[in-house]
Amino acid sequence: MSEPQIEPEIMRISWGPQHPMSGQTRILIDVDGEVVHRLIADLGFTHRGIEKILENRTLLQGLIPIERMAMVDTANIGLGYVLAVEEALGIEPPERANWIRSMICEICRINSHLYAFGLQVESTGYFPAVFLWTTVDREVLLDLMERLTGARWSYNFIIPGGVMNDLPEGFQDKVREAVNYLRGRFRQYWEAMVENAVFEMRCVGVAVLRKEDAIRLGATGPVLRGSGVDMDVRKDEPYAAYGDLDFKVITEQDGDAMARLKVRFHEIEQSLNIIEQVANEIPGGPVRVKIPLFPRPKPGEFLSRVETARGELGIHMFTDGGMNPYRVKINSPSLRNMYVFERLAELNRILVADIPVVINSIDPWYLDCDR
Amino acid sequence: MVETLKEAHPELVEDARVLRPRRVSILAKREHLLRLAEILRDEYGFIHPISAGAVDYPKEGRIQVIYYLTNPSKRFILTLRVNLPRDEPKIPSMTKVWDAMNFHERETMEMFGVVFEGHPNPVHLLLPPDWRGGYPLRKDFKGEGVKV
Repeated sequence: MSEPQIEPEIMRISWGPQHPMSGQTRILIDVDGEVVHRLIADLGFTHRGIEKILENRTLLQGLIPIERMAMVDTANIGLGYVLAVEEALGIEPPERANWIRSMICEICRINSHLYAFGLQVESTGYFPAVFLWTTVDREVLLDLMERLTGARWSYNFIIPGGVMNDLPEGFQDKVREAVNYLRGRFRQYWEAMVENAVFEMRCVGVAVLRKEDAIRLGATGPVLRGSGVDMDVRKDEPYAAYGDLDFKVITEQDGDAMARLKVRFHEIEQSLNIIEQVANEIPGGPVRVKIPLFPRPKPGEFLSRVETARGELGIHMFTDGGMNPYRVKINSPSLRNMYVFERLAELNRILVADIPVVINSIDPWYLDCDR
Repeated sequence: MVETLKEAHPELVEDARVLRPRRVSILAKREHLLRLAEILRDEYGFIHPISAGAVDYPKEGRIQVIYYLTNPSKRFILTLRVNLPRDEPKIPSMTKVWDAMNFHERETMEMFGVVFEGHPNPVHLLLPPDWRGGYPLRKDFKGEGVKV
């Protein structure tokens, strides 16, 4: 990115892309003393051209690159692509497969929110241990996924027509065990962190995003819900088994870094409820319908929407009757939230020391931004 | 909504239809895009921008730019489209109407070579600043011998 000019009294700090807290991006921070004057995100360090790659893959081969968009949240991203493919091919997955899909997606959501929670706590600078706790707790979920899919990351388990395999024997008991363990842990997190006076000082009132700004700037996911807008694709346009499952859309009214953290925290609780419901009430039947290895979709366009951990993901697939999609447009949630981040300094008085807290409360996934 | 829009502003809309439930598509006339965007925002409540992108159709000699929008109370997706000639893809920037189209227009600009007139910061978003290898998402891009 070519850098815009600055006035002489403003100092420009270049943060990242190799800084451990910035992730794979560079942020230019224009400061006037201690106050942030302007934020500029320099993206593209992990641009792999996934949209172009998908044009050169068949529909089923496309599953592999698309899940590389956000490793911590692969199932949700994969499901978005699979829903578009299924619409193009005109196939309906069996009901049991839909329930398994919802469960995997919620496990990924918890996984992703735990990572975000740990990072935000770490970025306040006082509590490095918490990031290690959340990492250890994610192991419980990764073990579950390994038992189900054979992989700890990038499962490719959700495929057009259903899911790869049925639940292994005794899996529901393992799920219930994990849910109980995590519920106990989250009580500890809440008491240790969210109600901690020092942590509150770093997060309450920091980087406030008002409701109308969140809508106008196109925020999505926990960032939007933290500003009091109850938009969630799982409720607005139920896919997989979300129409049959009982859960609430979490919102917080304050719109600050703490509100976004609390939204993620309560969403984890809702996800645990969903996972438990699936383990208890999953219907029987087959888990996949057979589809050809090289399916030819009908010509047309298909736009699917799913709610990933970071917000709404849209996959707009254009087909022309060939085996490969003609074009795939990915509406990534992190890119939308990154724009909100850029504008935050104009809406608020942000101090330099708050930048790590602010960016981790937005929780962008840069690979998802860059695609 | 599609019917009322067609009746109220026939001079702005080339085509408007419901693709499937909850997916509405509006094809704007190129010269009236900005006016139509303001009407959609102010009268129809499409104040929540999602994204923007484009599709290249070299055989037909056009590039279709697509804006993805939603209305926070109705929550279906509206795709506002405009067809541009491939040899001169130029439209006014929608950042005046929807501020948040900034990043998405920058991406469409570098990937397809669409010129957004009046964009506040028309520089590359994802590609390197000195990229001279062409427009990667156009169909005739081969990616061979690209020098950065």
